[in-house]
Amino acid sequence: MNKLTYFPGCSAHGTSEEFDHTLKLVMKTLDVQMDEIPDWNCCGATSAHVMTENLAFALPLRNLVLAEKLENKTMGIACASCYARMKVTKKEMDEHPELAQRINSTIIEEGEYTGSVDVQSMLQYCYETIGLETIKSKVTKSLAGLKVACYYGCLLTRPKNVTHFDSPEYPMSMDYLMEALGAEAVEFDFKTECCGASFSISNTDVVHSLSGKILEMAKASGAHMIVVACPLCQSNLDMRQPDIAKMLKTKLDIPVMYFTQLMALAFGFPKEELRFPKHIVPVEDALSNIGKIQPAPEKAKKTKKAVEAESEVE
Amino acid sequence: MITLGQQEKNTFLEAVNKKSGANILECYQCGKCVSTCPVSEFMDFPPREIMQMVKLGLKNETYMANSTWFCLTCSACSGRCPREIEIPHVMEAIRHLSIEENYVSNDKKVKEIRRFHDIFLDMIKRYGRNYELRMMAEFNIRTRNLFKDVHLAPKALLKGKIPIGHESTKSVKAIQKMYKLAEKLEKSKKS
Repeated sequence: MNKLTYFPGCSAHGTSEEFDHTLKLVMKTLDVQMDEIPDWNCCGATSAHVMTENLAFALPLRNLVLAEKLENKTMGIACASCYARMKVTKKEMDEHPELAQRINSTIIEEGEYTGSVDVQSMLQYCYETIGLETIKSKVTKSLAGLKVACYYGCLLTRPKNVTHFDSPEYPMSMDYLMEALGAEAVEFDFKTECCGASFSISNTDVVHSLSGKILEMAKASGAHMIVVACPLCQSNLDMRQPDIAKMLKTKLDIPVMYFTQLMALAFGFPKEELRFPKHIVPVEDALSNIGKIQPAPEKAKKTKKAVEAESEVE
Repeated sequence: MITLGQQEKNTFLEAVNKKSGANILECYQCGKCVSTCPVSEFMDFPPREIMQMVKLGLKNETYMANSTWFCLTCSACSGRCPREIEIPHVMEAIRHLSIEENYVSNDKKVKEIRRFHDIFLDMIKRYGRNYELRMMAEFNIRTRNLFKDVHLAPKALLKGKIPIGHESTKSVKAIQKMYKLAEKLEKSKKS
């Protein structure tokens, strides 16, 4: 049994509850014990590092200190933004011990940071620690017939010197994961283009523009749906999709699901557990493609006359 | 005539270099960051021009621009910069310096962005965790745009997409103490 320290993040019981819930379901199937950090606090997300310096490190550092008390070697984080903040904080604290000492001793009272816990996103944990073979072995309902565009967002694989995971330009881990479930991951050029993230509330026009481009590209790539691993990406692409469709004067109707929801579906969990009603853009139509595998186009039979005509051409 | 790097002490360039850990003089203005940056079209000056402005010591213009406030820290630029300059760090350094020196842009959008971040940080101070609904409501009130996103509310609330209630950490007092101590640390650094 694998043991993992889990940091849910603020949206886990709210806007991304479907991510948190289906993640816990699939981890149970994959025999991973998830130990949630007791009394975790908000990591500060974008606002802390935009406006402050010391607080931007202190908020994640408190969680890292609390995580060390649980004695698991790895901490898995669902939200990409929380993951980025914790990973950057860990890197700074590890590389600048005087800074770590100053913040730890002045601001954090919960304990002393030693750097013993490794920080990973849940996508990384599934891909690297659990592995595709194990995931494939738990699939009871193949997703064959479903075409997905895997959207990673900007924080899971960038910056390279922080995440050390997959490619910052054209990652494939989620694509391979989807293929292990039986789905087809289409070629998708906007995998890591920023959706507008934290501007969702304060600068919504930018989100409409950036997320609009991603949605259009996903549709043009032939995908039935977009698969994500970040609560803010999901919210921007799903909740704001009707407004974006109106702005672009086009029909989009492309649902946005978390990779753990598709994993749970493939592992055979009942639909009631998968939180479909929470989606603003309905998912049922896209999911009805499962099982409808496109047959290979039949080669047209040539007439005798046509074959003769061909052989004469020289 | 200005000779880059040798003009009268460019304290602005020095301050930004020190705070960001980058060396802006290495930028040779190739423009790759501009073509990569997803928000460069929305900025007063795209990243390349901000680098040049810092090199020329144009502190006021740099602080007043909306560029650093529109930066999403998506790191697309630094991933492709041939000089491997950490452009998001440079943007952050300029932002922090402008806050420290009390420069506030008059741009309406920049004010709204700053207000959002202040409200977010206030939420964590109160609850130890984010309370999304209250944050959205406060933002609407404080930017005098009461009906922003209101059309999303019925569906989002009914589906439970945005929860009506909130959670707090048990150690809210520890978080509040953390805020005070962080502020103290900032002030002691300046003196």
